[in-house]
Amino acid sequence: MSSAKSVDLRQPFRIAAEELRENEEQWQAYESKGHCVVLAGPGSGKTKTLTTKLARMLAEDAAPPRGIACITFNSECAGELKRRLERLGVRESHYIFIGTIHAFCLKHVVLPYARLAGLDISDQVAVALPSEQEGIFEETFPEVYGSNTPPSGWRTAFDKYRRTHLDRGASAWLGDDADMAKLIEAYESRLRKRGLVDFDDMVLIGLRLIESHGWIRRCLHARFPILAVDEYQDLGLPLHRIVLALCFSAGVRLFAVGDPDQSIYGFAGAKPELLTDLSNLKGIEKVQLRFNYRTGQTIIDASEVALGETRGYKASTDRIGTIDFYKCPEGIAEQAERICTSIIPKALKRRDKRELGDVAVLYLDRNDGDVIEAAVRKSGMKFIRMDKGGPYAKTPLTRWIEDCAAWCAGGWKKNSPRLSSVIRTWEGFNASLRTESALYDLKLGLVRFLFSHRLPQSLASAWLTDMQSQLLKAAFKKETVLRDETVAFSGLLRACSAEGKLKDLTLAALGGQAGARDQLNLITLHSAKGLEFDVVIMMGMEQGRIPSWAAKTLESKREPRRLFYVGITRSRHEVHFTFSGFNLSPRGYRFDNGPSEFLIEVAKRLKQGN
Amino acid sequence: MHISRIRIQNFRNFRDLDVALGEDAVIVGENKIGKSNLLHALRLILDPSLPDSGRQLREEDFWDELPRPLGKDDVITMSVEFADFEGDEKHLAVLGEFLVTAEPMVARLTYVFGAFEAEEDPVTESDYEFFIYGGDKEDLRISSEFRRRLPFDLLPALRDAEGDLSNWRKSPLRPLLDDVSSKIDRTALDAIAEQISEATEGVTDTPEIKALAGEITTRLTDMVGGAHALEMTLGFSPTEADRLLRSLRLFIDGGKRGVADASLGSANLLYLTLKALELEQLVKKGKRDHTFLAIEEPEAHLHPHLQRLVYRDFLRRRDHQAGADKKEPPRPATSIFMTTHSPHIVSVSPLKSLVLLRKSSDASTEAVSAVGLELEDAERGDLERYLDVTRGEMLFAKGVLLVEGEAETYIVPALAKLLGYELDQLGLTVCSVGGTNFTPYVKLLGHAGLNIPFAVLTDFDPKETGKNLGEDRVLGLLPHLVSTKSTKGKTRIELLALAKATGLFLNDYTLEVDLFRCGRHKSICKTITELTEVQISKQRAEGWVNDPSTLEGKRFLADIEEIGKGRFAQRLAGNMAGNRCPAYIKEAIEYVIGQIG
Repeated sequence: MSSAKSVDLRQPFRIAAEELRENEEQWQAYESKGHCVVLAGPGSGKTKTLTTKLARMLAEDAAPPRGIACITFNSECAGELKRRLERLGVRESHYIFIGTIHAFCLKHVVLPYARLAGLDISDQVAVALPSEQEGIFEETFPEVYGSNTPPSGWRTAFDKYRRTHLDRGASAWLGDDADMAKLIEAYESRLRKRGLVDFDDMVLIGLRLIESHGWIRRCLHARFPILAVDEYQDLGLPLHRIVLALCFSAGVRLFAVGDPDQSIYGFAGAKPELLTDLSNLKGIEKVQLRFNYRTGQTIIDASEVALGETRGYKASTDRIGTIDFYKCPEGIAEQAERICTSIIPKALKRRDKRELGDVAVLYLDRNDGDVIEAAVRKSGMKFIRMDKGGPYAKTPLTRWIEDCAAWCAGGWKKNSPRLSSVIRTWEGFNASLRTESALYDLKLGLVRFLFSHRLPQSLASAWLTDMQSQLLKAAFKKETVLRDETVAFSGLLRACSAEGKLKDLTLAALGGQAGARDQLNLITLHSAKGLEFDVVIMMGMEQGRIPSWAAKTLESKREPRRLFYVGITRSRHEVHFTFSGFNLSPRGYRFDNGPSEFLIEVAKRLKQGN
Repeated sequence: MHISRIRIQNFRNFRDLDVALGEDAVIVGENKIGKSNLLHALRLILDPSLPDSGRQLREEDFWDELPRPLGKDDVITMSVEFADFEGDEKHLAVLGEFLVTAEPMVARLTYVFGAFEAEEDPVTESDYEFFIYGGDKEDLRISSEFRRRLPFDLLPALRDAEGDLSNWRKSPLRPLLDDVSSKIDRTALDAIAEQISEATEGVTDTPEIKALAGEITTRLTDMVGGAHALEMTLGFSPTEADRLLRSLRLFIDGGKRGVADASLGSANLLYLTLKALELEQLVKKGKRDHTFLAIEEPEAHLHPHLQRLVYRDFLRRRDHQAGADKKEPPRPATSIFMTTHSPHIVSVSPLKSLVLLRKSSDASTEAVSAVGLELEDAERGDLERYLDVTRGEMLFAKGVLLVEGEAETYIVPALAKLLGYELDQLGLTVCSVGGTNFTPYVKLLGHAGLNIPFAVLTDFDPKETGKNLGEDRVLGLLPHLVSTKSTKGKTRIELLALAKATGLFLNDYTLEVDLFRCGRHKSICKTITELTEVQISKQRAEGWVNDPSTLEGKRFLADIEEIGKGRFAQRLAGNMAGNRCPAYIKEAIEYVIGQIG
C-alpha cells in the first residue's frame, strides 16, 4: 500500500479504489483498459467494483463533453447505482446516463435519430399505458388464434418471442411460430396506428436503428465512448445485440458485470449463455471474482450444490452460516404462521441489534405473498412488500417521488438526496418546456413544494395529494412521455389512501429514510436479486413448485435452480426453508410430491459435511 | 468543423437571410447594411462569454419593417449549421444529437426569441424571452451549462486595441507571458529579481528621490490621516519574482515609446498578432478544439498595403499549410469571421469565404456567397487573381457589365453618360475580362454564385468563311444561366434570342466597327487622325468620314491596333457627343438597370 499516500483526496473514488486493491480480481477489473467482463458471484463486491470503475473511467477516459452510458436492469437498480456513485463524488449530469435499456433507447437513440433515419415515428413519442397494451393485445389476439382461445396466459410467450426473434427478415421469424409472428406484427401495427409505442418497441426500434445506421453508431460512440452494463445476464438478446453493434463494430468500450448463475428471467427472454459467450469473445478481458464477502461458507457450499455447479467461491468473512428446514404439513398458511411466531422471533434474538429489517421472507409468487402478508399483519410486525403484488410499481417517477419524500423527511439536512439531482430529474420529466422562464417556474414550483412539505411524520397520502395538485397534474397534462407514469402514480396514491395497504405510511417511510430498519422484508425470489439480509427465510419450497411440475429435464431445471440459488445467496448468516411436502394446483388439486429436490440435495450435502 | 449556413429571420436588418458559408467568412457590405448584426446573431447562439442577460433582446430588435405592434406569433429566429465535424469525437459528442442531416452530418443550433408563454395579444416587453435548441425539434433545449461545451469563442471586435494592450487583465500578452513563465527556471528568476531590487535601490536611495518619496508620504498622511495612509515606495517594477514577468511591457520603436504612444494602426496590428499567437497556443495545448474569431472592421487605421499584407496572411495561411503536405491538410483550428468594407481586404480574400450583404427588394438585408459555386481550380485561381488586381470592385457593385477589354471600359461608361445614365451613381461597374473567357465570371455573378445582376457584351467576330465566333461563345455561356429544361428542343435562332433575354449581348462585328456604323464615324475618324502617326491611316480616315459606306473593316481595325485599342478608346471617349449608341450596348445597360430594379 505504498501508493496510498499519493491518493488524490479530491477524487473520492481513489480512496474507494484502495479497498479493491486487496482483491486481486477486483483490482484487475479496476485496472482494465479495454473491453472487460466481470463475472461476479453473489456477495463478490460487484456493485462496489462497478461504481468505483465507473467513477474512474468518467474521470480518466470519458471526460466531458463525452461520457458513459450505464445500462441497468430496472429503475430501482439505476437509483441504487446513482446513490452509490454520488458517494464517490460522481454527480448526475448530462454526460452520464444511468438507466434501463428502454430509457437509453428512447432518450439517446429513438428520440434524437428515428426521424432522421426515416422512421415514421411522431415527434412526441407516446408510451402505451398497460391498459392500452392489454386492450390492443386482446383485440388483436382473435385475429390470429380465433375467438375460441382465451388470450390470457399468452402474453408471456408473446413477449418472449418478440424479444428473442429479432430479425424479422430471417426465416426463423415465421419459421419458429408463424402465428405468434403474425400476432406480433398485427399488435405492433395497431399500436402504431394509435401513435403509440410500448416498452419493447423502444428497445427493438433502438436496436434496429443502431444496427442499420453507421452514423448513429458514430454519434453514440462520440457521446458515450464507454458502455457499462450491470446484470448482463438478465438483459436479454436485444441488449446483447446492441452491445455487439456498439462495442464490436463501432469502437465503444464495454464494461459489463453480471453472473450467469443468477439469470432468472428466462421466461422473459434472458439467456445466461449470452454473458458466458460474451466473456469468452476474443478481445475481452474476463475477470472472475472469487470471494464472497456476504455469506458464510456453509451456505456458499450448499448454494453451489443447489445450483449443480462447482464455482469454488470462498467466503472472505469468518461467518459460518446455518441452514434449517421446517416441515409444516398443514400447508402454506402453517408455514407463514410458523415464520411469524417462531422462526423470526428466534432469529431476532440470536444476534445483538438484529432488527426486522435484517430479515427477509422470500416466496415464489404473489399468492404466497398474500399469505405471508396476512400472517405478518396478524402478528403486528411492520413490513415492506416488494413484488408485483407490492403496494406500487417502481418506475422512474415513483423512484423520484421516493427521493422527494426522503428529502422532505430530513434528507434536506444532510443534502441527501441532493436537491440539485431531484430538480434535474424533475426537469427531465418536463422535457417539453423550452423557455428559461417556464423552467424557472417549474423549479420554483418544485422547491416551494419541497420546502413547505418537510414533515417527516406526516402521512404520505396527504403529501402525495398536495404533490399531485401542485406539481404532477400540470406535468401529466403536458408531457406525453409521462403517459404511463400517470398509472404508476395513481397506484401509489391508491396504496397510500385510507383504503390502501400503505394507509399508515409516513413520509419518512416512503422515502425509506427511517423505519426501513424496523420493517420485515417480504419479497418474491425474483425481486430479491441484488439484495442481502442477515436472515433469509424461503417459504413454499415444494417439489412441483420449484422446480415447477413442468420442468422435467435437467435443462429445464436449470433456471429454477438458479432462482433457488439466488434466494439462498441473499443471506449473510442464516437460511431457513419451510415446506409442507405438497402443493395445490390453481384449481385446488393436491399433489403430494414432497419437498423441493433442491432442498433434499442441500440437506444431503449438509449431512455429508457433518 | 465549420459553420456551413446561417439563417436569420426577423432580426434587425434581416427579414429572412439565408447564406451558405465556407471555412472563413469575410462579410462585405456597405455601412448600416447589418454586418455587425450578423456577427451579433452568431454571438447570441454561440458566445459562451455572453451572459444570458445579453441574450435577452428587446422589441426594437425585431426586423424594422415588421408591422407594429408585434403579435405573439412574431418570433426572431437565428440558426447556424455546422458541417465537417464528424472526424472529431468531441465535436461529434456535442453536436451529434442535433443533426438535421445524417450523411454527411450537419448539425443545427437555433436561437429563438418571442413571447412564447403569452396567452394572447397584445404582448408586452416582459413577455419576451429566448431559448436555444438543437436539431430540428424545439424540445432539445440547450442549457447554458451545455453551451459552454460548444468549442466556440467569438472574440470581440478590435475596437479598443490600445486600451486592451495597456490593461494587464485584458492584454493578449498576458496568457502568452503566463505560459512562458511556467517554463523559466525559478532560481534564475529569483536572482534577476534580486538584481532588479538592488538596481532599484540604487536609484531610490539617491537623496533627491528619497526626499520626494518622503514628501509624498507626508502629504498623503496629511490628506487621509495615518489610518488610511498607503505604504508607498518608488520603483520600476515589483521586485518579487512572481510578479516580475507580469510587469513586462510592450515597447515600440526600439524601446523608445510605450504602446500607448503607438498609432492606432500599429496597436491594432500588435493586438491581432498577439491574439493569433494566443489562439494557436490554446489549440496546440489542447485546451480548445476550435475557435471562431470574429473581427469587426479589421481595416481600421491600417494602411491599405498593410491591410493586404496582414489579411492575406490571416486568410490564406492555411492554404499554404495544406499545400506543403498534400496528404493530410491540417484542420483549421480557427475560423475567422470578418466584417469589412475595405476593398483591400476583400481583394485578398479567398473566393469561398466571401459573403456579400446587400439590400433586397423589400428593404431587408440579404446575403450571398460563392460557396456553392462549382468552379475548376484554375477558374477559381483566375477569379481570385482578377479580384485581387481589380481590388474586388465587382463585389461592391449593384450591377456589372462584363466586357472583353480595356477599350470597352472607356467607351461603355462614356456612352452611358451620353445616354443619360451615370454608372457610378447606379452602382454599375464595367469589368473587363481581358479576352473572351467569360465563363468563370458568369458563374461567379450568376444565381448559383453571388447573384449580382450583370450583362455580357461581346463581339460577333465574323470570319471570312461566313461563320462567326460570337454566337458560339454566347451559346456556350447560356447553360450556366438557364436550366437545361428551358433550352431543350430549341433552335439556334430561339437559343440566341433566349441568350439575349438572359443578358448576353452580341454586336454585329466588333466594338469599333459597330461604333462607326451607328453614326459615330466622324468622332472616330477624328480620333484616328489625332492619334495616328501613319500618314496613310490619316488619309484612309478622311476617306471613310466622307463616305462611311467605303469602310473596310479589317483595314480600319488594323489602323486602330496600330494606335493601340486602349489608347484609341481613351481618346474617343472624350471626343464623343450626342446619344448615338450601338444597340447592344444600350440594351445591355438598360437590361442591367432593369435587373437592379
